[in-house]
Amino acid sequence: MNLTLTHLFALLPLIIVGITVVVVMLSVACRRNHFLNATLSGCGLILALLSVFWVQCSDHGSQLPTLVSPMVAVDSYSLFYIGLILVAALACIVFAYAYFDRLKVHREEFYLLLLCSTLGAMVLVSAVHMASLFIGLELMSVPLYGMAAYIFKRQQSLEAGIKYLVLSAVASSFLLFGMALLFAAYGELGFAELGLKLVSVDYLDTWTIIGVGMMVIGLAFKLSVAPFHMWTSDVYEGAPAPVSAFLATVSKVAVFAVLVRFFILAPTFSVKLHTVIAVLAVLSMLTGNLLALRSHNIKRLLGYSSIAHLGYLLTAVVVLRSGVSDGAGELSESGQLVLEATGVYLVGYVLTSLGTFGVVALATHADSANRDTSELRGLAQRRPVLAVCMAFMLLSLAGIPLTAGFIGKFYVLALTVNGELWWLAASVIVGSAIGLYYYLRTIVELFLPTDDATVTAANGRGQALGALVVVIAAALTLWIGIFPEPIITMVNSALPVGL
Amino acid sequence: MNYLFLVTLFPLIGAVLLAIFRRMPVNLAATIGVGSIGLSALTTLALALQFFGNDQTAFVQHLWTWISVEAFEVGFDYRLDGLSLTLLGVITGVGFLIHLFASWYMREDLKDQVDYLYTRFFCYMNLFVFSMLVLVLGNNLLLMFLGWEGVGLCSYLLIGYYYRGEANAWAAFKAFIITRVGDVFLAIGMFLIWIQFGTLDIQTVIAQAPEVMAEGTLLTEVTALMLLGGAVGKSAQLPLQTWLADAMAGPTPVSALIHAATMVTAGVYLIARTHVVFELAPFTDELVGVLGLLTLLIAGFSALAQTDIKRVLAYSTMSQIGYMFLALGVHAYGAAIFHLMIHAFFKALLFLASGSVIISCHHEQNIFKMGGLRKKIPLAYACFVVGGAALSALPIVTSGFYSKDEILWLSFANGHTVLWLGGLAGAFLTSIYTFRMIFIVFHGKPASHASEHAHAPQGIAHHLPLLVLIVLSTFVGAFITPPLSNVLPETEVTASHALQISLEVLSSVVAIVGLGIAAALFLGRRRFVKGLVESDEGAKLWQFFNSAFAFDAIYDRLFVKPYLAIARLHRYDWIDKLAGIFPGLVKLGNSAMSASQNGQLRSYAATFVLGALVIVAALLVS
Amino acid sequence: MIAQYWAVTVFVLATLALLAFMVGAASVLGGRSWGHEKNIPFESGILGAGSAHVRFSAKFYLVAMLFVIFDIEALYMFAWAVSVREVGWTGLIGAAIFIFILLAGLVFDARMGALDWVPKKSEHIADQARHESF
Repeated sequence: MNLTLTHLFALLPLIIVGITVVVVMLSVACRRNHFLNATLSGCGLILALLSVFWVQCSDHGSQLPTLVSPMVAVDSYSLFYIGLILVAALACIVFAYAYFDRLKVHREEFYLLLLCSTLGAMVLVSAVHMASLFIGLELMSVPLYGMAAYIFKRQQSLEAGIKYLVLSAVASSFLLFGMALLFAAYGELGFAELGLKLVSVDYLDTWTIIGVGMMVIGLAFKLSVAPFHMWTSDVYEGAPAPVSAFLATVSKVAVFAVLVRFFILAPTFSVKLHTVIAVLAVLSMLTGNLLALRSHNIKRLLGYSSIAHLGYLLTAVVVLRSGVSDGAGELSESGQLVLEATGVYLVGYVLTSLGTFGVVALATHADSANRDTSELRGLAQRRPVLAVCMAFMLLSLAGIPLTAGFIGKFYVLALTVNGELWWLAASVIVGSAIGLYYYLRTIVELFLPTDDATVTAANGRGQALGALVVVIAAALTLWIGIFPEPIITMVNSALPVGL
Repeated sequence: MNYLFLVTLFPLIGAVLLAIFRRMPVNLAATIGVGSIGLSALTTLALALQFFGNDQTAFVQHLWTWISVEAFEVGFDYRLDGLSLTLLGVITGVGFLIHLFASWYMREDLKDQVDYLYTRFFCYMNLFVFSMLVLVLGNNLLLMFLGWEGVGLCSYLLIGYYYRGEANAWAAFKAFIITRVGDVFLAIGMFLIWIQFGTLDIQTVIAQAPEVMAEGTLLTEVTALMLLGGAVGKSAQLPLQTWLADAMAGPTPVSALIHAATMVTAGVYLIARTHVVFELAPFTDELVGVLGLLTLLIAGFSALAQTDIKRVLAYSTMSQIGYMFLALGVHAYGAAIFHLMIHAFFKALLFLASGSVIISCHHEQNIFKMGGLRKKIPLAYACFVVGGAALSALPIVTSGFYSKDEILWLSFANGHTVLWLGGLAGAFLTSIYTFRMIFIVFHGKPASHASEHAHAPQGIAHHLPLLVLIVLSTFVGAFITPPLSNVLPETEVTASHALQISLEVLSSVVAIVGLGIAAALFLGRRRFVKGLVESDEGAKLWQFFNSAFAFDAIYDRLFVKPYLAIARLHRYDWIDKLAGIFPGLVKLGNSAMSASQNGQLRSYAATFVLGALVIVAALLVS
Repeated sequence: MIAQYWAVTVFVLATLALLAFMVGAASVLGGRSWGHEKNIPFESGILGAGSAHVRFSAKFYLVAMLFVIFDIEALYMFAWAVSVREVGWTGLIGAAIFIFILLAGLVFDARMGALDWVPKKSEHIADQARHESF
């Protein structure tokens, strides 16, 4: 096939981010200036975000969904998630600027890594082919190792990077093995083509199921789903806070989006497989919440909480077992609900994670080793705005009404009830009940008085901008919590190609 | 009359202002605290003028709908009629005088106790007046209950005003808890009324009662009994009377306003308001009078053996409210309300004067450590003589004579001879204990250092309220006739006028004889009384009276101790244990999980592979 | 299901058995001699010299890695080279962009000092030493 201008236009967000990488690289080569390079990166992401809207809304929009190649599809689904990823990456850049501003290391390369990783995530959500899935995943992950170990002088950071690297390699091997098994069975690597083959056979043989299962294992690692969650808290804790924010948002969103797309385009109606996924979901909810219960380190706590949240989210994939299309290329009702739930939940999750990690990045010292919740103690005195936002975000994570988190959790419960998965529903409720304990405990911590006079408020444009981002995230969380209709409409219009 | 709501608005604004600006200067706080009640009193005056000009027709102001759940509709409605106007006058009028006095009293009092906030006192006082006005004006049982609970709260807060003293806090607890028992009865009574009438609107209930409630049935009796339970709790009548004497721990103006003039008479107001219900329940109706009689006698005897000047007054208050209940029991509602009003005058006078005495004697409250104060503080003496005379109902010149004798006369005329006789005995006791107190405090020789160096208080805020109340306690006060004819039924009297005159003479004689006995016993060297008290039986009797018939001890045995025992028994509650299982499990899971997070890469990888193996194996096995 | 693959199973088992037999039989049947010389590491008849823990300069690995990276990336050029006529101008533009990105990377590496064998700081010290020796 030929690459036409239309295709290039559809790929505009990816291209812009790619160009930004080169520009920032040359700029760093010319002149080491933290502010300049951070601004350049941010501008690139903003341009890419604008181009997402442009692509979505322009006349060419009528030609959406566009299969740019058999590998990459730019459809409303990928554009929606690209938008989400870009917003998250932009916020991470702001936090990173505030975080690294106080640090005396080579700070500029961080933005290069972040941009590369973002590009990988964008490829990932557009992937409709095993190859692009793998390329996207690796392009996203490899810079992340470097980012996690970025403050390599601090042992924890280095350790985090190496742990993530080794375990990630194991996971990638599982993913590749799964793909190989599927290719061996059907000779296809494209999702849709594979889906056609899968639908046409009456009986799925064991190798197919194991192949899909191994792919799920590989992706489940990236999503930090139990029992592949062990790395999460160590890496979140060791990595610089903006990197944790990036890990918790961009990488999770991208992997989950591609997982859902894979299960929609190549549905495997295997009760066994979906039972296994359901067990993983339940395990994640319980493990994450149980681990967080007595964790006194805010970053570990947020890491554990993200395990639990991915557990909640995984129910969406479980529900997909009943099939998403009714055979005529139309989305079934439950499939529609799954997409809706995934989108709404992810939006809420991204906003709250950005807010919480943002506060951690802004309020804690980059070079202090212990990041206990006690470091956030008395935040209400020092930074009242941040403390209020943080408290609100934690409420959202706990799923209290009037927050985006509540809408998301409501959707998950609706999914389980709709799919009559009663024990999943029960574990969502039990998990939320446990979760409430440590979220509220952390909120209490924020408002306790402290006599630690050494912690002083940091100033500077980075801090101010970061606080602005946190406030915006909190405001959006509240807005979605009160008035979720626009977000639901947006999510509903984001359909993957081939449906 | 659309400005009716202003009466309640001013005190509320005052309370809010004083609550917000806690550290305002003392003068400003006094201005706001007293001024708000003054404005309220002026509004009441205007209302009263318009009310009488308007042929005494009742006026209802609907402010807003408070609660609306299906059929359950409660409006925030005020109703102004003769009864509520009378109480409005007492609350705002006497309330204003007491506030004015308090602005002087608290300033003097807080000179010694500097840690307490001046604004807090007036904030609670204004809130109290607001609540009391809502209680009286509420046209709905639930709205009335709001005020009812509000005054209870303020009473609690003000009794415990000197919260650093432990005894004061316990006294506050006691008052709050015991009145709460009554409030629960009242709430149940309201539920029963709601079940029967489908509304809590007082006027509707009064109008429909004869059709809805059958006379003398169990349900009717229980409903009335529950309302009575609420009334006796608030008004410190038997069997819920024990809190009032301890409530004297609060500042003296509080005792004057809340525990003498207004709040404690709320029970009388409640029964008078819902008298229709009581008339349909003969047993309870009878019980009202009997309880009143018993209380007035018990309180009378108790007052004889008190040493604290405020406790004497507290028991006399109890006893006087007993008279009001007695009046209610014999259907002399008008007489009850009239006595309520007159009692508010002279009892406020007595309490304020006692406050003046206490300040003069440097916070000395024991009457046996005073003595001979007559010449040092003549104004207080005058107050006590006039107020005491009114309390003992000395004939012709005092206001108490007119109100109390009306009660006694009507109880006799309505055929309740036993109640009448008891009331007469109570009058006798009243006159003895009143003048016992006056003689001990003001006559004889100074009994302590404090009374020797007593100084006379100064200032308009001190003198004016006392002077006004002195005037109101004389026969002048009796000229004020409550406009109750449209609200409460007139008592029909068939007996002759001559009989009334002779009975009045009889009760006058009783009062004067009581005065004489008091003079014989307590003027001079009190040898007889000393001998009596020092004898074995006498000391026991004195102890018995002093502890107010040992009700506290009995209740302690009967309720407090068993309750605490049950509570102790339930300390290790199995339900609690059962509820503890889930957190225990969660903690266990947390420990188990946390152990796996050991930070070692090899164990993480092993877990990963193990998990993957299990999954693949599960998928493999078909 | 395992039954389907019995041939594979037999093959694996047979291999294992054969290996066990060879090692086992050799150890039982052969004679053996002990000695100091026997325990010295031995490679193609040449005796090992020095410790195995030789410390290379980290720069060596860095340059080696850079070489591998650029080498692998250069491999992509072959794909273009074999189809240079078929892909025409589009291909040329694509390849040009690719080469440009590689070049940018090279510039970056050079500017970062990744290609300098001696780090700037040490070079400075070495210069000083040289000057002093003169």
